[in-house]
Amino acid sequence: MSNEAISEAEIDIREMAESGREVPNAQVYRVRIDDRLVRVDTAHPTGEILLSKVDKRPCAFELIAEFVHCDNDVIEPEKIVDLRQRGLKGFITAHKEIVTIFINNAPYKIERGDHTVAQILAKVGQTPDAYVLLEEKGGPPMPVPPNQPIEIRGCEVFYSQPQSGGSSS
Amino acid sequence: MGYPKEQVEELKRYCQKLNAVTEDGVTYLYLEGLRLPTRCQPVECDALLCPEPKDGYPSRLYFSSQIQGAYTRNWNVSNARIVERNWFAFSWRVEMANPTLPQLLIAHLSGFAKER
Repeated sequence: MSNEAISEAEIDIREMAESGREVPNAQVYRVRIDDRLVRVDTAHPTGEILLSKVDKRPCAFELIAEFVHCDNDVIEPEKIVDLRQRGLKGFITAHKEIVTIFINNAPYKIERGDHTVAQILAKVGQTPDAYVLLEEKGGPPMPVPPNQPIEIRGCEVFYSQPQSGGSSS
Repeated sequence: MGYPKEQVEELKRYCQKLNAVTEDGVTYLYLEGLRLPTRCQPVECDALLCPEPKDGYPSRLYFSSQIQGAYTRNWNVSNARIVERNWFAFSWRVEMANPTLPQLLIAHLSGFAKER
């Protein structure tokens, strides 16, 4: 934690970067993420906090720092960013190709795109013959027909339950 | 309602309103506005979950109308009169040892997401 006195109430980091000036200590930093201007009340947020400012999560998106005079830098969700570092213009986000889904409350990596129920259950060593796949999507967990492809975009939440029902006639 | 509170709370997520009703010594869970799995028409309806043996089944789920799902089902109960209302049910036997109420409901709803 810096003992440096706060010199500004609100600072736009891109203006500072483009003018080549050092970013002073401030109460609030105005930061561009994609096409949005967000306000951050610490000089040292994590990547995940910055993503959340634009309603995105690391299970589906990555955060990339943009600089005036050097290459972009991918920021891991848990990494602490220094918003006062010289040349930092802002951030962009990109949809990950390998995203994270959650099955029975545990995270699993999977390629973005369409998948079968069998492929998703295989992540937890289960098969559609023995388990029902449930997806929690804007409501409670609901069974998914095994013949229906599931579009994975990242952050989907699934559960499984042993098969226990069948037509009795 | 004589069921564990957490199970009842979890079950409430599936519907707009939940009540226990008793008729002829059988207790039903009345699920008003029950959400149905994807590809079902209508997307929600009222339902009665009977967690105890009924009509030769270990448990039953009755619907306020016949539901069009991903697979053809044998609707072997039509217009059954329970708690002053007509109900429909398809032949679906759930065999689970001591299921929670949400597990039982899901097992019945999986009848819309399973070929046989």
